[in-house]
Amino acid sequence: MSGHLHPGYRAGRRTLRIASRTALTEHITHFELVDPDGLPLRAYQPGSHLVVTAGGRRNAYSLVDDGVAPDAYRISVLRRGEGGGSDWLHDTLRPGDLVEVEGPRSMFAPAPDQRAVLLVAGGIGITPVLSHARARVRAGLPVELVYSYRPGRAAHLADVRALAARSGVRVHEAIGAARTVETLRERLADQPMGAHAYACGPLPLLATYERLAAEAGWPTARVHLERFTAPELEAGEPFTATVASTGQRLDVPAGVSLLDTLLAAGHDVRHQCRQGVCGECRLPVRATRLEHRDFVLTDDEKRAGDTMLPCVSRGDQIEVFL
Amino acid sequence: MTLPSTDLAVELFLTQPIDHLANLPWPFPDDLDAFRYTVNVEPARVPRRTRGGEWGRHLVDLGGAEYPAIMADRRRILDADPGRVQVRPGMALACWDLLLYYLRDLALTYPDLMELDEVGEHLHWRNHVLGTDQRFVLGDATTLPYDPLEFLAREVPDDLLLVVERDGRLCFDAGAVTFAAAWAVSFDVGMDIYEIHGPVPRLTGEGITARAEQFLKRLPADQVYRRVNWTLSASDSRTLDVSLEELPAWGRDIPALIRDGAVDATAWGRVQLRIELEHFVRLPMTGAVTFNIRTFMASLDELRAVPAWCEQLATIIEELPADLAEYKGFLDHRDDVVAFLRTADLHTANLPAASPSPHDRTD
Repeated sequence: MSGHLHPGYRAGRRTLRIASRTALTEHITHFELVDPDGLPLRAYQPGSHLVVTAGGRRNAYSLVDDGVAPDAYRISVLRRGEGGGSDWLHDTLRPGDLVEVEGPRSMFAPAPDQRAVLLVAGGIGITPVLSHARARVRAGLPVELVYSYRPGRAAHLADVRALAARSGVRVHEAIGAARTVETLRERLADQPMGAHAYACGPLPLLATYERLAAEAGWPTARVHLERFTAPELEAGEPFTATVASTGQRLDVPAGVSLLDTLLAAGHDVRHQCRQGVCGECRLPVRATRLEHRDFVLTDDEKRAGDTMLPCVSRGDQIEVFL
Repeated sequence: MTLPSTDLAVELFLTQPIDHLANLPWPFPDDLDAFRYTVNVEPARVPRRTRGGEWGRHLVDLGGAEYPAIMADRRRILDADPGRVQVRPGMALACWDLLLYYLRDLALTYPDLMELDEVGEHLHWRNHVLGTDQRFVLGDATTLPYDPLEFLAREVPDDLLLVVERDGRLCFDAGAVTFAAAWAVSFDVGMDIYEIHGPVPRLTGEGITARAEQFLKRLPADQVYRRVNWTLSASDSRTLDVSLEELPAWGRDIPALIRDGAVDATAWGRVQLRIELEHFVRLPMTGAVTFNIRTFMASLDELRAVPAWCEQLATIIEELPADLAEYKGFLDHRDDVVAFLRTADLHTANLPAASPSPHDRTD
């Protein structure tokens, strides 16, 4: 079941090809991903990330372009040195290799009606911030950017300086922690009404940013940040279900709904939205554990634990009364 | 250059017989006999067979041979009343997002009638039915004769609405609407989903608005959804534009019909069942969600060709609680409509000659 006719709107799991890799610093490598068949790529909101299957793990990497009409997906990966997905990408991927991706997904989007923008980046956190900045520049809107980095470790410094040459763009380079605090305090204090701020970087920088924004009187709804954590992928854990009338045992894998499992097994379950909002597929059940993920059941009904919406909700050892 | 095969395709398209039941998105399951509002959303682009024909195969139903007439009506309204297009600050890119999505979809759905060539951000759109031939650059408003939302509204019969999340609420922040049913885009633009649905009885109080908002906020990127809504039209003609902007033009239609119906019961056959097919798409550049509305109409006279529909509609309208019938605007004449539908077969002498359906019948 695919919703879009045009290939430029695919967001599900699919394979892309590495078109190039470039060392940006000693520990940061830039990858360009393209469709192996030359098909167009889905546009994305500034600050979006791509989920990349990296040696068995699924990691999220920020896309660095404005997202309007992408000719490639560009990510910059910091080698963490912990044997994880980022190490695998550095050690394994070469131009021409195929890699599995999902998305792009947006969890760090600009507010639609913002009047002014202060962007804050620390180290590799420049990647989603650069995307925001490029989108503002494309739209002809002013933008102010604080880039905090250690000498020799700054990715995309040339890109940031190229943006700084454009009209309406102000860039403050802050080298070292003390200079960063000073710059942030000053720039947060000097923004017009209605401004939104966005930050991405290491946790200590984000903590400082939040504290200084609060001190400067910013409402929290206008202080946005992205932490370096994997997004919730919502695939859920695998579990088993039993059809009460026949004793038939069904395995429900991660990423597959109980509803789809029942339908595949030939059970005629009435359903409609598949999103946990219409209530059509509600089923009586008994289970050792239920994880309700719908918006239909009341808190009391969820606590009672004798019905569920199999299109979104999961659990463990579920007995379905069919 | 238009090739002869394109001319032939356009001619075949425009000489299709007109049958308002053949593409009608009948809004009720066959076994339904009592209507209440629900979050009745389902995946789109899934064809549905009905007793009258088929609907829902495509995102945009052009309207067959009536397409040029529908579009002429829309363009006349847009020329006369620029206020029908509303774009709040910050929504410009979402309008481009919408335009690109629909033009790409149309070109793939109707390859004999419409073409979109893309070279990077340079696009070339041709609509051979309406004669549009437009080159433009994505994001450059100076390359189009209208802003992107209005340009699209002049190509498709759907009313176009965009909602975005602002401060945690979904807000209706851009729209090109010429066929509204007793509402006004210029009044509603900028409102959040709770404000817009405030007048609908039971909707917010029963949590349906909240669930609809959750649904739209979480609308998956790779799926397109749809929903069907219905009412009896506030006019007894096929006038699509019963917006509040045009209230003086249609406001006396139903009182006149009620007077006519008192003299001759066959006048109730002029009542129009108005069905709105809504599509929800999450647009990638901005995360904006479409709430686009394609309006279909069939008169009760036309409905008589499918007696099971007359019977079902009579049962549903008769059972409808008074607050819902009042909101839908037919509380005062619903008994007459029900009586007409129940005796529809008695009025067969007045039935207009049925045109053959381009689709297979399933009844």
